[in-house]
Amino acid sequence: MKLDLEIDGQLRHVEILAGQAAGPWSILIDGEPVEADACLVRPGVLSLLIAGQSHRIVLDANLSHSTATEAALHHGQRRIPWQAGDPRSLRSRHRAAGATGPVTLKASMPGRVVRVLVDPGDTVTAHQGVLVLEAMKMQNELKSPREGRVTQLRVMPGDTVAAGDILAIIE
Amino acid sequence: MLCWATRRAFLTLPSQAAADPRRYTLYFVRKVLIANRGEIALRILRACRELDIATVAVFSDADRAALHVLEADEAYRLGPAPASESYLRGSLILDIAQRAGADAIHPGYGFLSENADFAQACNESGIKFIGPPASAMRALGSKTNARQAADEAGLPRTPGCVHGLASPEEALSVAAGIGFPVMLKAAAGGGGKGMRAVSRPEDLPEAFVAAQSEAERAFGSGEVYLEKLIERPRHIEIQVLADEHGHCVSLGERECSVQRRHQKVIEEAPSAVVDPDLRRRMGDAAVRLALSAGYTNAGTVEFLVDDEQNFYFLEVNTRLQVEHPVTELVTGYDLVHLQIRIARGEPLPFTQQDVHLRGHAIECRVYAEDPDDHFMPSPGRITRLLQPGGPGIREDCGVYEGWTVPIDYDPMLSKLIAFAPTRDMAIARLQRALGEYVIGGIRTNLGLFRRILRDPDFRAARIDTGYLDRLLIANPPGHDAPLVNGAEHIPVVAAAVFEATKPAAAASLPANGSASTWKSTARREATGGASWKARA
Repeated sequence: MKLDLEIDGQLRHVEILAGQAAGPWSILIDGEPVEADACLVRPGVLSLLIAGQSHRIVLDANLSHSTATEAALHHGQRRIPWQAGDPRSLRSRHRAAGATGPVTLKASMPGRVVRVLVDPGDTVTAHQGVLVLEAMKMQNELKSPREGRVTQLRVMPGDTVAAGDILAIIE
Repeated sequence: MLCWATRRAFLTLPSQAAADPRRYTLYFVRKVLIANRGEIALRILRACRELDIATVAVFSDADRAALHVLEADEAYRLGPAPASESYLRGSLILDIAQRAGADAIHPGYGFLSENADFAQACNESGIKFIGPPASAMRALGSKTNARQAADEAGLPRTPGCVHGLASPEEALSVAAGIGFPVMLKAAAGGGGKGMRAVSRPEDLPEAFVAAQSEAERAFGSGEVYLEKLIERPRHIEIQVLADEHGHCVSLGERECSVQRRHQKVIEEAPSAVVDPDLRRRMGDAAVRLALSAGYTNAGTVEFLVDDEQNFYFLEVNTRLQVEHPVTELVTGYDLVHLQIRIARGEPLPFTQQDVHLRGHAIECRVYAEDPDDHFMPSPGRITRLLQPGGPGIREDCGVYEGWTVPIDYDPMLSKLIAFAPTRDMAIARLQRALGEYVIGGIRTNLGLFRRILRDPDFRAARIDTGYLDRLLIANPPGHDAPLVNGAEHIPVVAAAVFEATKPAAAASLPANGSASTWKSTARREATGGASWKARA
């Protein structure tokens, strides 16, 4: 079984030669063999033994708002973002980071729209505030990811939005 | 016989014996309504259980399944999620207390806890408000009133005015008298709202108007005053306890200098810079102020301390503080128990001579916010919660795995507190506990505490109220901790195992284990291979 994983911003090619939920795994990471003993001690909590070293790794995925979130692993004191996918989509996403074309401004958290700072048709610069979202007694300004023209504004002051909702489109 | 003699030798009587409770008429407290939510509601609920007192919880629609509702003996709905329609509805809460037959109301902190009108309404309708009398709240609650009371009680305070300023011109003349830089503050303020540091006279008029309108919006009162800005101060506060018979004691200090935007982040007791003499002088000042205002129950007198160990009165918090556990750990007293006993009319069961500090305690306020993204709030469902434990660790937590943190309230999830014989050992325990603590599904500031606890300045207690801002600028958020050499493939193996054991993938596993219970749980866990989306 072959997998392409993006872990901590790095693409890794993984080939699983043998493995089962509880027991020994034999894996090639970018061609380099690694032997590990895995035990899924409870959902999302994994114990790994590698060369006698014991590691607890906890899967952190926000299941309710899949669009606005990332998956991550907790290992010791570290939180490591990761995602899996087929190699083409991961590579094309890497390219898309600096691309032009329409971008969406999404709600990074659930909240209420307090103010809208632009009108449809306005030109905005990168990092210019587009609207103010209030959550947990704090007002947060959401900024345009890049420069462009606001072609759509989908919310009004007073609207309640969920994480991942598209608030505006900038072209 | 020898055993007896040894035991008796340890029985020393305090030089000034505590008052005899049998001489006082007690007010019965058999059922307490807790007018709060989150970790503090649970903290009070636990104290009531320990004292064999029944508990009544109240909740908003967002909190129907909150921990305090699940744990209380009784629970009643207040209304929709916004605090103004639920936890701030004093007359409804009082009505529920009467219908439920509660003898007393504990307000916790925030919400109605410093509302003198509510305290008065409770006491007038025969339900004991567990806190100071309304008169003392009015005398000390407003910062300008408190500064006048501090002057009368002879406490040192920062130079500046003791009344609200009428105009920018008056602000300029007061500032000219004490010299720049100055600090503008809202008389009704809290949490840093309505505060402005001003270093030049030409900036003062504009800052005055801004502070005034911010205070008006936040507190419904635009009263603003001005005081001299102390450079690089430490925030050090004194816990006081006063009974209803004229006894008042101080329980040492808490240092709360690690702040962001005037909000406390880490608190500890004792302070590394307070020696017994300074502790006695600050404690005496706090007790003097409390007694002069007719204060009862638990309260906190806040001071700024400069680098020459001069202390200046700042304000009084007429309630239980968020950070009260560090005082409990180093004094050995349960402050919520004592609050209830004082409200019952009992005299303080100990005197100032009985108060001794032992060891060191440090508290972290764990928030649902993302330190890597400008401390944006991060409400949502907690999909994973692994809680720390072991020696010297106390976790006052208001959430559970599966709970959805609502958007409507303060983002505090829990308080993690470590206690040890020394400050170094307390830091080590806290670091160890942070390694055990996992909160998944939402972002938290746990990583921020790891960074602070590693920082040489924090470890050497070289802290003041500007410390954390400087740390965040000098050392912007990034990776939590350096990678141990050779450990980089561990997350790759883990990710491969998680990915390969998803239901869709598991079928194509080589040497696949047979279908077992983990498979169905993995199915629940998996978000589906197609749903991984690029991060925004």
